[in-house]
Amino acid sequence: MPPKPHRVLFDRVSGYADEGAAFMRRRRALRRPFARLYYGGGRAEDHAVDSTAGGELFVAAGRLIEVAGKRPKS
Amino acid sequence: MADDAVTGDVSSEAAAGALAYLTEMSPDLRGAAIVDPGGVVLAASGDADRWREDAAALFDVADRTGDEPVEQIHIGTEQGEVLALRHAGLTAVAVTERFALASLTFFDMRSLLRDLAGETTQSTFTPQEGGKSRRRRRSGGSDAA
Repeated sequence: MPPKPHRVLFDRVSGYADEGAAFMRRRRALRRPFARLYYGGGRAEDHAVDSTAGGELFVAAGRLIEVAGKRPKS
Repeated sequence: MADDAVTGDVSSEAAAGALAYLTEMSPDLRGAAIVDPGGVVLAASGDADRWREDAAALFDVADRTGDEPVEQIHIGTEQGEVLALRHAGLTAVAVTERFALASLTFFDMRSLLRDLAGETTQSTFTPQEGGKSRRRRRSGGSDAA
């Protein structure tokens, strides 16, 4: 006996939701600190954390994060 | 065109309105500031002097890395993300939680700077009728599964 049509739909939707959640989890785990600079014309440059420029950028960004503080509770 | 100086004076009230709009639109936002072409902080969440110094330092470092001025900066760290943008001489700097919707936040920041610079006829950040919340849903997704 075939499953009821709504069961098929539910299974498919929850399958997509699981895929999405797994993608987000992998993204969180894999994403490393980065420093990306964008110039006119759409050119972009990445700077590694261990490079001189990257290190300075991370220090400057760290100060800004410190100024901003924690997210206010809504 | 991106770095042309702003033509008229930008009021602190307009900048504060823009900042309030940005805060409302971006639930991941921790703090932000808008700085005018002369380096004066027009609006900021928190210590305006610190924002001015640290935003200037960030752009100073970024400009030194290349042979042309930086237009946009995106730095992601363990503690949060920094998004900074220059347009028409104005500067917007925002700090968000990690994994915020960066491209949308940049889009909002650019729209606000365009408004403040007087490049658009209709303001982006006028209050919405009916008091509806324009707040975007948080980024990230479920941690389940």
